Amino acid sequence: MEAPPVTVMPVTGGAINMMEYLLQGSVLDQSLESLLHRLRGLCDDMEPESFADHELVYLLRGQQGNPFILRARRSLLKPTSPWHLRYLGQPEVGDKSRHALVRNCVDVAASHSLPDFLNEMGFRMDHEFAAKGHLFRKGQMKIVVSKLSRVHVPGNLENTEPLSLSYLVELSVLAPAGQDTVSEDMKSFAEQLKPLVHLEKIDPKRLM
Amino acid sequence: MIVYFRLAIFVVPIGCTVLSCGRNMQQREEKQLDASVESLVTRVAHLKGSLQSFIYKLENEYDRLTWPSVLDNFALLSGQLNTINKLLRNEKTPSYKSLVIIPLLLSPDRDEELAKLTEQRVPVFSHEIVPDHLRTKPDPEVEEQEKQLSAEAARIGPEAAQKQIQTLNKLCSNLLEKLNNPRDDRDSETSALRQNKPSFNLADTNALVAAVGFGKNLSKCRPPGSVAPGHTGQAMTSAGPTMQQVTIAGAAGHQPGMSGQVTQQQPGQPGKMPSNIKTNIKSASMHPYNR
Repeated sequence: MEAPPVTVMPVTGGAINMMEYLLQGSVLDQSLESLLHRLRGLCDDMEPESFADHELVYLLRGQQGNPFILRARRSLLKPTSPWHLRYLGQPEVGDKSRHALVRNCVDVAASHSLPDFLNEMGFRMDHEFAAKGHLFRKGQMKIVVSKLSRVHVPGNLENTEPLSLSYLVELSVLAPAGQDTVSEDMKSFAEQLKPLVHLEKIDPKRLM
Repeated sequence: MIVYFRLAIFVVPIGCTVLSCGRNMQQREEKQLDASVESLVTRVAHLKGSLQSFIYKLENEYDRLTWPSVLDNFALLSGQLNTINKLLRNEKTPSYKSLVIIPLLLSPDRDEELAKLTEQRVPVFSHEIVPDHLRTKPDPEVEEQEKQLSAEAARIGPEAAQKQIQTLNKLCSNLLEKLNNPRDDRDSETSALRQNKPSFNLADTNALVAAVGFGKNLSKCRPPGSVAPGHTGQAMTSAGPTMQQVTIAGAAGHQPGMSGQVTQQQPGQPGKMPSNIKTNIKSASMHPYNR
């Protein structure tokens, strides 16, 4: 039940297909401060936003093919905010020279009955984690520095354990399909963060 | 500088004269004085001009001004101040300290010539402006500070002062050397420093990306018994088995039992799971990061 690739779908109107361009890297805990300083200098002039989110990943398995994955995310700092439901497609394998990972992305906001709704629809929660960190912006680009934690007891977020001694750094841009200049801008921004962090295009399938 | 500036403007105007302490004011010395004052006036006029243009730039073109051009302006001003200093130190310049300016005539009437000469800044040569413009002593605060500084300098003593001068010179020359050397030298030593403290770990990057991408190492199913019972708040707990039936019925041609590798996440329901479901049980403590 995987959505067909974007290029195949006929353009019949409706919402523009947004693509997420992504570069990922990590930074060790002890170098976090220097990275935050650098980002504060490079990014748009506003106080970096802290966030603490809980993400649940739901799978819908059909009888064949890859399962359909939906990600539901809620804020732990603002419990009354709506949930954020996101679909991320398979990374587009096109241009090897493209610098960022490109995948189809659909984002919607949802009410607090989202987990129940997904369960009723037949989705099963595959895994969940908590992400806590900082969010920076530079123009279109969004830089997220977050610490991922494993949730031991589902639903209970008091008892979490960090997955590793590093923070995950993600540089992403949401843009309509076809804008390849975006990845150039991302690459030049990534250059400015070296050698603290190496942001690169990491294909999750390689790590499976 | 302000004192000299004002001195220059007012050496020329009418109403003042120069009185020498010495009895023998020879023609030659007078000529020397005139010449040096002339050149001082021109230099100060240059300085005034560049200050004026700089102020204009700062006030009107501040949004287009770049740091290098501001630095250029400052350099110009500093150069001009330098030439004035050199002129004053020149041996041909008579010592102005021995000359006194005494106003001969003060009047509250507006003086057109004076106004023209000073570009309308001083229209009247009266009792109010004379103490300010003809002053030779520095401001009281400045005087205080100078006194403190000279007392401190006297207190240190000549040898200590000499040593301090030498250290300062050494520091400056070191800094200049570092700044002037080609960049490659600097980069090689800083890169050597940084290699000792890597700021990221590739293995960590991969682990984190895998975790976010498809939940690697995030527990997929609870081993029975390690889950605290009582998650009855979730709607699916009571409807667990029936939910499975619903999904199976939706797919064409399936038996009521689960087929294949279906991974089920059922928190708090280990006892109620039908036995013919294959589950992936991953131990939660299996991670490479010892803390």
